[in-house]
Amino acid sequence: MITRVTNWLDERIGWRNVWEAIFLRKIPKVNWFYTLGSATLFTAINQAVTGILLTIYYAPTPDHAYDSVQYITTQIPMGWLIRGLHHWGASAMVVLTVLHMLRVILLGAYKYPREVTWFSGVFLLLVVVGFGFTGYLLPWDQKAYWGSTVGTRIAGSAPLIGDWILRVMRGGAELSAVTLARFFGVHVWVLPASLILLLAIHMYLVIKIGISATPGREEKA
Amino acid sequence: MNEKDQKAYLEQYKKDKEKGVPFYPDILFKDAVVSLLVFLGLVALAYFIGAPLEERANPSDTSYTPKPEWYFLFLFQLLKYFPGELEVVAVVLIPTVAILLLFLLPFLDRSPRRHFLDRPWITALVIGSVAGILFLSVQSVRETPPPSEAGQGDPVAALYTENCAACHGGTISIPEGTNLHDVIAQGTHEGMPAWSGDLTSDEIDALAGFILSPGGNALFQEFCSACHVSSELVASDPIELKAALDEGRDYPPHAESQIPKWDEVITPQKRTALLNFLVAPDGQRLFATNCAQCHGRSVSYSGGEEELRDLISQGGLHLEMPPWRETLDAHQLDVLAQYISDPASAEGGDVLFGQFCSSCHGDRIPKIENVDQAREKIASGGAHETMPVWGDVLTSEQLDALVSYTLEAAQGAPLEVGQELFAQNCAICHGDFGEGGTNPARPDDVIAPISSAEYLKTRDDDTLFQIISQGQPNFGMSPFGSAFGGPLDDDQVKTLVAFIRSWEANPPVELPPAVDTRAVKLSADEIYAQLCTQCHGYDGLGLIGPSLRDPDFRANNTAQDIFETITQGHEATPMIRWGDLLSEDTILDLTDYILSLEISAASAQPQPTPGFSSFAEDVLPIFEAKCVPCHGSMGGWDAASYDAVMTTGDNAPTVIPNDVRNSILAQKITGEQTYGNIMPPAGKMTNAEIQLILDWIAAGAPDN
Repeated sequence: MITRVTNWLDERIGWRNVWEAIFLRKIPKVNWFYTLGSATLFTAINQAVTGILLTIYYAPTPDHAYDSVQYITTQIPMGWLIRGLHHWGASAMVVLTVLHMLRVILLGAYKYPREVTWFSGVFLLLVVVGFGFTGYLLPWDQKAYWGSTVGTRIAGSAPLIGDWILRVMRGGAELSAVTLARFFGVHVWVLPASLILLLAIHMYLVIKIGISATPGREEKA
Repeated sequence: MNEKDQKAYLEQYKKDKEKGVPFYPDILFKDAVVSLLVFLGLVALAYFIGAPLEERANPSDTSYTPKPEWYFLFLFQLLKYFPGELEVVAVVLIPTVAILLLFLLPFLDRSPRRHFLDRPWITALVIGSVAGILFLSVQSVRETPPPSEAGQGDPVAALYTENCAACHGGTISIPEGTNLHDVIAQGTHEGMPAWSGDLTSDEIDALAGFILSPGGNALFQEFCSACHVSSELVASDPIELKAALDEGRDYPPHAESQIPKWDEVITPQKRTALLNFLVAPDGQRLFATNCAQCHGRSVSYSGGEEELRDLISQGGLHLEMPPWRETLDAHQLDVLAQYISDPASAEGGDVLFGQFCSSCHGDRIPKIENVDQAREKIASGGAHETMPVWGDVLTSEQLDALVSYTLEAAQGAPLEVGQELFAQNCAICHGDFGEGGTNPARPDDVIAPISSAEYLKTRDDDTLFQIISQGQPNFGMSPFGSAFGGPLDDDQVKTLVAFIRSWEANPPVELPPAVDTRAVKLSADEIYAQLCTQCHGYDGLGLIGPSLRDPDFRANNTAQDIFETITQGHEATPMIRWGDLLSEDTILDLTDYILSLEISAASAQPQPTPGFSSFAEDVLPIFEAKCVPCHGSMGGWDAASYDAVMTTGDNAPTVIPNDVRNSILAQKITGEQTYGNIMPPAGKMTNAEIQLILDWIAAGAPDN
C-alpha cells in the first residue's frame, strides 16, 4: 500500500531523484567541524519558527511593544521558552555563523570551485548581523532603546551620507515609533526574504558541488 | 590556481567522494547530533537564564548607560580608540575594509594549497582578527564602569563617572569658546541627552568645571577639600573666591583656619584652573551671579566685543562717586572712613554705610589701605569703582564667556520677557496660548487663533509689529505702541513679536482649548473686565488711563460725557471709538457700570501725613543718599533737585502729584514695577523711607 502511494507520487513529482540527489549523494569523510554549517542552518530554522510564533502576540509600536513582550514572557503558555529560544538562538546563530566561516577559511573551502558559495556566505553573514541589529530594538526596553540610539548614531557618523543613513534608519532625527516600525519591518520581512534567497543559493551550491574534503598537508616538493 | 591545479583538485575530490559516505544517514546523523546539542543548549539557556527584559524604554532617562548587543561590543570599543575626526576610521574604514577583504578572499588567496598550516599568512590574519575582536570585546566589558562605582569624597568626579564616562571615557576635549553649560543642559548632538532634567544647574556647572579643568578638581581635592566638602558649596561669587585665594589667611572667613598663603603655594596657572573649576566659564551663570544684581536680566549694549571686554574688565573706573564732603559732616566722614578700614572698630559706621554707600556698594565693604586713604576717597569721591574691576577678578576664560553671553543677551530681550508682556497685555483677549476666543468687543465675532501655523506663516514680523503698535480699532483692539498712545515702547513690541513668532518653531505646549464660537451677550461688568481693565485697571483706579473712581474725574464727567467718550474715543490714546464696535445699549450699560463704581476715598481727601513735612528736609536727603550716587553719573532720572525729580528721566514724568499708583518712582521703590531693575539695586529702602516718599507724592509732591 505504502509502495503504491510512494510510486504514485514519484510518477508525478519525481521525489526519488530529489531524495537521491540530496540524501544519498556521497560525501567525503569529514570531521565534526563540518557540522557547523548545518548547525547554523538549524539555528536559522529555530529563529524562523520562534520568530513567527512571537509575531502572533508582538505589537511593533512604542505603546505596546514592551507590554506585549512582557505578556509573551509571563502570560502565554511556553511563551518564556519561545522568547528564550529566539533570544539565545540569535546569539548562537552569530557564534555558529562565525565559527562556520572560520572553518571555511582555515580549511580553504572557499577556493575553486566554491567561490560563489563563499560570496553567498558573506552576504548571509551580513544578513545575520542585520537581524541582530534590528532585533535588538524590538523589546523596547531600556537596553533596546539606548543601544539602538547609540548604534544608529554610530552608523550616522559616517561622512557625507551619515546623516542620511541616520534618518533612513530612524525615520526622522530621533528614535521614535517610526524607527520601531522600520526595524520591525526589516526584521520580519526584508531580512527573512533575503535570508531565504541567499540560503537557497548557498544550499543549492553546497549540494551541487559537494562539501569540500578535509585538506591534507601539501606534499613537500 | 591554474587549470591544471583545478583539474587535479576535481579529480582528487572525486576520489575522496568515492571513498566517502552517503549523506544519509552518516553525515546527517552527525549534523543532527550537533543541532540537537545546540537546541538543548538553547533550551537550557532559556530555562535557566531566560530572555532578559529590562525596564520599559524611557527616552528621558538619561542616566542609562547604553550598551549594544555583545557581538557589537568590539565595534563600540574600537570607536574609543578613534576619537573626534578619526571616528570615521572606526565607523566606515575598518568595517568596509574587513567586509571587502572577506569578499575578495578567494581572489587574494589563489594558491591551490588548502590546509591552514600551508597558508601561514591567511591563518595568521584570521587568528589575529579573532584575537583582536576578542580583546576589544573584553576591554569593552571591563571599561564600562559599573554604575555603583561613583567615587567617594569627590562628588563631582562621581557625577562625571555616573553620567558622562560611559560615552566620553575619562576626559573630553572641549573646543575653545564652547558654552559647556548649555551643551550639557540642552544636549546638542545625537545620543547626548539634555541633562537639565536630571541635574541641577549647580551640578551642571560643577560638571562643566570638572570637564574644562580636570586639574581643578585635583587641586580642589588637594587644597580645599580638607575644609570644604563639596566644590558646589564653596562661594560662587568670583570676587570672594579670588579674594580667598589671594589673601590666604587674611581673608576674613578663613582667619580661623591654619592655611598657608595660597599665592605662595599655588602657581598662578593652577589658581586659574581652580577658579575656572569653581566658577565654570559659563557666561549666563557669571552674569546672573555678578551682573544681574545691578543690571537685571540683561543689559542693552550695542558696541563691539572688544569695547565690552574692556568695559567689563576695567569695571566702573568711569563711574563717579559723589564728593561726600559736600553732604556729610566731618564726624560722619571720620566714622565712615574708620568703618571702612576696620569694620569692627567704628561705632555707627554700619548705619552710615547702609545709608550712604550700600545703595551702590551693596554689603561689600570696599578694600582700602588705611583710614586716611578711606577718608580722602570718601570725601572727594570722583572716579571710582562702583562696578568691580572684573579684569582683576575673573580668569580670561570666564571673561570670554561673560563677554560672549552679554553680547548675545543684549541682542534681544529673552523670550520670557515677551511671554510676560503677552500675559499682561494680550492674553486677556487672545488667550494664554494665543488660541483666541469670543471677541468681547464684538459679541458676534470670534478672535481667531494667533498661534496657529496658518496665522504666523501669513504674517511677517513687520505686520505683527504694526498690528500690535497701531491696534486694530475695527476689531476692538486698542493700539499698544507708545507712538499711538499705548503702554509699550518699540522694544517691548519687538519683544512681543519675537515671542509670538517663537510659536512657529515651538507651538504652544498645550493644545488650544476648543474655542466657544457661540455669540455671547456679555454683561456690562464682563465687558469692562475684558475691554477696559487693560487701561483703567481691574478696580477702575486707572493704569495708563485715568482712574474712573477719582473724585475729580467723576466731578468733571457726567454720564453723558462718559457715554460720549466711550462712543467716540480719545484721539492719540488707546481709547478707540468703541461706538463703532459696541451697541448703544452696551455703552449705556457700561456707563452705568462705571458710574456705579465707588468713588475712591484715598485721593478724595489727601491725608495729612505724619512723617512728612518738607521736601527739602525729608525727601531730598533720601534721594541724595539712595539715588543720586548712581543716577548722578549714570543719567536717566536725576534726583538732585526738585525740578530734576519732577522733569527728568527716560519715562518722565517719574512723579505724578497725587497719584501714587501711577508714579513710576513709587512703583520702583515699592518693587511693584518689575520691568527693568528694582531700585535701589542694592535692595529695598526701609519701610519708613518708602512711606515718606509715597506720602509726599500723595500729598501732591509739593516743593517745600
